[in-house]
Amino acid sequence: MEYILNQLVNGICQGAIYAMMAIGYSVVVGVVGMVTFTHGEVIMIGAFASYYAFEMAGNHILLGLLFSFAAAWLMGACVYKICYERFFSAPRNISMLCTIGFSMVVKNLAQIVFGPNQKPMLNIVDNKIYSLGIVQISTIQIVVVITVIVSATVLSFFFNKTRWGIKLRAVSQDKTAAYMVGINVKRTAMVGNCVGCALAGVSGMLLSIYYQTLQATMGGSLGMKAFSSSVLGGLTDIRFSALGGLCLGIIENLGITFSSASFRDIFAFIFLILMLLIRPEGFASKKGARP
Amino acid sequence: MKQAVYGLAGPVKKYGPLVLLGIFLLLPLLITKTYILGLLCRVLMYATLAGSLNVINGYSGQMCIGHAGFFCIGSYVEAILATRFGISFWLLLPLAGAVAALMGLMVALPTLKMRGVYLAIITLGFSEIIRLIALNWTEVTGGAMGIKNIPVPQLGGLEFSNARTYYYIFLGVAALFLFVTRRVVRSRIGRAWMSIREDQLAARSLGVNTPAYKAVNFMYGAFWAGIVGAAYAPYARFIDSTIYSLDEGFNILSMVIVGGSGTLMGPLAGSVVINALTELLRPIGQWRMVAYGVLIIVMMWFRPQGLIGASDSVLAGRDIKAKKQKAKEDAK
Repeated sequence: MEYILNQLVNGICQGAIYAMMAIGYSVVVGVVGMVTFTHGEVIMIGAFASYYAFEMAGNHILLGLLFSFAAAWLMGACVYKICYERFFSAPRNISMLCTIGFSMVVKNLAQIVFGPNQKPMLNIVDNKIYSLGIVQISTIQIVVVITVIVSATVLSFFFNKTRWGIKLRAVSQDKTAAYMVGINVKRTAMVGNCVGCALAGVSGMLLSIYYQTLQATMGGSLGMKAFSSSVLGGLTDIRFSALGGLCLGIIENLGITFSSASFRDIFAFIFLILMLLIRPEGFASKKGARP
Repeated sequence: MKQAVYGLAGPVKKYGPLVLLGIFLLLPLLITKTYILGLLCRVLMYATLAGSLNVINGYSGQMCIGHAGFFCIGSYVEAILATRFGISFWLLLPLAGAVAALMGLMVALPTLKMRGVYLAIITLGFSEIIRLIALNWTEVTGGAMGIKNIPVPQLGGLEFSNARTYYYIFLGVAALFLFVTRRVVRSRIGRAWMSIREDQLAARSLGVNTPAYKAVNFMYGAFWAGIVGAAYAPYARFIDSTIYSLDEGFNILSMVIVGGSGTLMGPLAGSVVINALTELLRPIGQWRMVAYGVLIIVMMWFRPQGLIGASDSVLAGRDIKAKKQKAKEDAK
């Protein structure tokens, strides 16, 4: 029982990271209107950016946050320029295949540049373990959850109160109408893509701190997890995507307590299949939302 | 001149495939280098594999990017049943295909009513999970050790134990695949697939049972991938889970894209191009996969319909839009 409760805490913490990935994913899909397969690679780039920032510049988590945010933002701009900008009026599968090609390029370039082996992450957070009754919580978990909550709050402020956020929402609702009222749709879509990717980069940093390792091939399954989580919100709704990420983290951690840890990635897949069978359009289906 | 060319087209269409088959049959007698023969085997194998993916991606417009999963299932079914129970290779060939098709049905079922993206993600996850199962289910699949000493197929005293003889098995599978697929694509089923690709809503309104046809399409593609997998296992003599990674699936996908999706000869051309590239780029190692990625992007930018692909097909993307635009302007 105690073990299961502890796994639940781990699951919530990991779910917070997945939630952040899923928020990024749903921002990208919502604003740009096209799916991406490069999300896992963007997460990986964010993790490596923070790793090199910690190694070269200094041991503060805000520094890593800044660097992973910036690197992933730049990645997002590249993805947009290469995979989306030309294909707004083309069939969807063309830009999708383009993102697949781009993810192959990034993944293999990363293996060449960063090396194919696992790297140990530096010790950023002074790790202590606190006991709350029978549950144990580590400092890393607290830092991760706080970072996710703060960024989600900032994001929701950005989306609801600022001019840019309103523009982004307008573009995600209807591109033609947004164009009519004088919004530069292409530029806004690019910014939206960059914001989504930057969130993914930050979640990559959190993930590498949480696991204490990072690897050039880590992106493959993470992209799928981000997708599976955001299916809960119909790929575009931010709040339900975050909830999906949280659910996925808990399911995964409870799942590996009852089986072996090598089956970790299977649970995301089962979650995705179940979601598609039960409610494929997600729980946030509004009228006029993009299917 | 034009008349003469058109006069030639009939006989070429009629006897061309037979002549081509004859040339391919005679090739092992002419080529003495085993290295080139091995390369030819690879080309034929990947041509069939890419062709089976093309049936899914090109003809019905669904999107499967984890084709390596079905390839893996076929290989493992053949390897396990042949080493444990000594069942004949010729029996296992269709059986492996049937198992792969069944798995294909299970994969396709949850997404039949949705857009292609969901299917793409599911196949991606499926491919990875099949690899994980092959790696971790040690009692059956041998785990990381793989399966060794897979018995070679025999036919009337003839042993298919090297590339020179095994070439004929790959050739037979490829020829059979092309023949059957050509017949299927020109039948009612193939026309239904293509109508789904062009416009799913219109196809539905014309009475095409789209979910059923999509399921059949997916099963058909998975079936041939399983057969190729079963044919590959005794050729390699040893299989383990590292062969069937996601990169393998992307490799097959890039063959379809480069060659031209939605055409019968496209995957063959793609297989020739990509395998030749693989051999040429071998010295640069890891950069090879980068080159494939760049190749996919370049193809998508400049020629989305592939090397062999009609520019007025719906797969050509931008061109068709521009054409419509032009027609509108002309009308004005």
